[in-house]
Amino acid sequence: MLGLRPWTVLRAVVAAIYIFMLGPIVITVLVSFNAGTRSVFPPEGWSLKWWAEALSEEWIDPILFSLQLASLAAILSCAVALPLAFGLTRHRFPGRNLVVLLVLGPLLLPTLATGLGLLRVFEFSGLIGSMGFWTLLIGHVVICIPFAVRTIAVSLHGLPSNVEAAAASLGASRMVVLVKIILPLIRNGLVAGALFAFIHSFTDINLSLFLARPGASPITVKILGFLEFGFAPTLAAVSAITLIIPLVLVLLVQRSARLGDFIYGERGA
Amino acid sequence: MWTIDGQGAGRRLPLHWFLVGVPAFFLLVFFVVPNAFLLSASVLKSENQVLTNQFTTENFTIFLTKKVYLLTILRTFVVGISVGLLVAFVSFPVSYFLVRTRSRFKGVLITLSLAPLLASVVVRTYGWYVLLDRFGFANDVLLKLDAIQERIAFIPSTGGIIIGLAHALLPYGILTNLASLSAVNPNMERASMSLGANRTKTFLLVLLPNCMPGLVASFLLAFSISISAYATPAILGGYASQTIATLIYAFIMQVLDWSLGAALGTILIVSTLAILYFSFRFGGRRAEV
Repeated sequence: MLGLRPWTVLRAVVAAIYIFMLGPIVITVLVSFNAGTRSVFPPEGWSLKWWAEALSEEWIDPILFSLQLASLAAILSCAVALPLAFGLTRHRFPGRNLVVLLVLGPLLLPTLATGLGLLRVFEFSGLIGSMGFWTLLIGHVVICIPFAVRTIAVSLHGLPSNVEAAAASLGASRMVVLVKIILPLIRNGLVAGALFAFIHSFTDINLSLFLARPGASPITVKILGFLEFGFAPTLAAVSAITLIIPLVLVLLVQRSARLGDFIYGERGA
Repeated sequence: MWTIDGQGAGRRLPLHWFLVGVPAFFLLVFFVVPNAFLLSASVLKSENQVLTNQFTTENFTIFLTKKVYLLTILRTFVVGISVGLLVAFVSFPVSYFLVRTRSRFKGVLITLSLAPLLASVVVRTYGWYVLLDRFGFANDVLLKLDAIQERIAFIPSTGGIIIGLAHALLPYGILTNLASLSAVNPNMERASMSLGANRTKTFLLVLLPNCMPGLVASFLLAFSISISAYATPAILGGYASQTIATLIYAFIMQVLDWSLGAALGTILIVSTLAILYFSFRFGGRRAEV
């Protein structure tokens, strides 16, 4: 067994790192309850006025915009990822490695460059005037695909392919096999994939930065824009709201699907 | 049968063509083409804020000859290397602790270490502003302790960018090191100690070589994310400490110069590809699905 002293030192170091990691987030939340007009820590008295302001239309609208964007991006990227994951885990075909690179591409190459490239393409094809929710959605689906594919692939790896063969040999059609056998069995993977995609989209800034338009900008872009004019405590309250949404989602999903399997699953996949 | 390719090859297209083909086409149009457009724009000339069809290498020579731009590129890589080193070495003890601890709070601690990933980088940087600002918490504490006589502006600065990014990317480092460390059998350390090696020797000669791939991978991951990060440099860096990402934003959205913006984007893409090559080659990282 390890001796007591080095282990105690390690514990102290780790505790300090946890404070470093979580401190700034806790401070942001505390600042949002500040009674003063500046973003200071520790707060000068307590009040809910910044929260009232954060819950006004000005901020709720972009939050709802981001929620819609992230939800649709999660659903669509899973819809695209499911056949991809199936094809890649169940079939060996020439050019498979190329497809793997293509799928992981948005994760491997800088998101900033993808956003920039998409803006260029939309400009080039004369769509610049009609850019908005849909163009943002396309970009978000692209950057969410690697997360969805990897997660769904993990659960497909854990599913023996003779399950499908058995169902098919008993007379089930392909559609029935998919809906009645495969989807229920990889439900956890689908849910986790959608969740990771949602979080990735909801917290993205590097892509939205170039694709956002006035009236169609996600909450992260909006917060960033306001940060340039100073750090009002309202922004702290808004930030806290954007932190709560994925947190609640994770806690809800964690009850039914074990997310840890998919986070560590990366290794085995 | 679900898998019909092979038998039905002559008569109809194998199933995986559709499974893979349609999504791959989507990625081709909205991922490969945009990046190709960006790369091609980097060698085209801009006139009056409009991209022309004239070929030029000027876009790149400008960055290599003008001192301001050269400094920005240099700063970006210094930030990337510093953040990479910080993330790798700060996350390592945490991962080691999480893998070896028998605490019943282990699950909670792992969740807490990954929880920051749920917040946008914008949100996570906000706290650092409150801490490091001229009138922030750090200044208050230092003044009270008489460590400083007058208030210091810790931000905007390159150091601020490094701290903010290292903080934001730490969970990735922990995750990467967790994966490599959990593959190391704790009995190896015990065996080494029982054979007479001291703690330092065991650490350097037994543990470290075994989890080197994890350390290298976490360095490369943090490096590649930080060189193209926008939000943290924009908030904590200011105009005096621009990075490639903030400069790209200025070129594209403010100056409307696609040529220079695309050239900088190309520099980011090429650097990222180089890092990927290294990580596949030496870090043991595999691109698998």
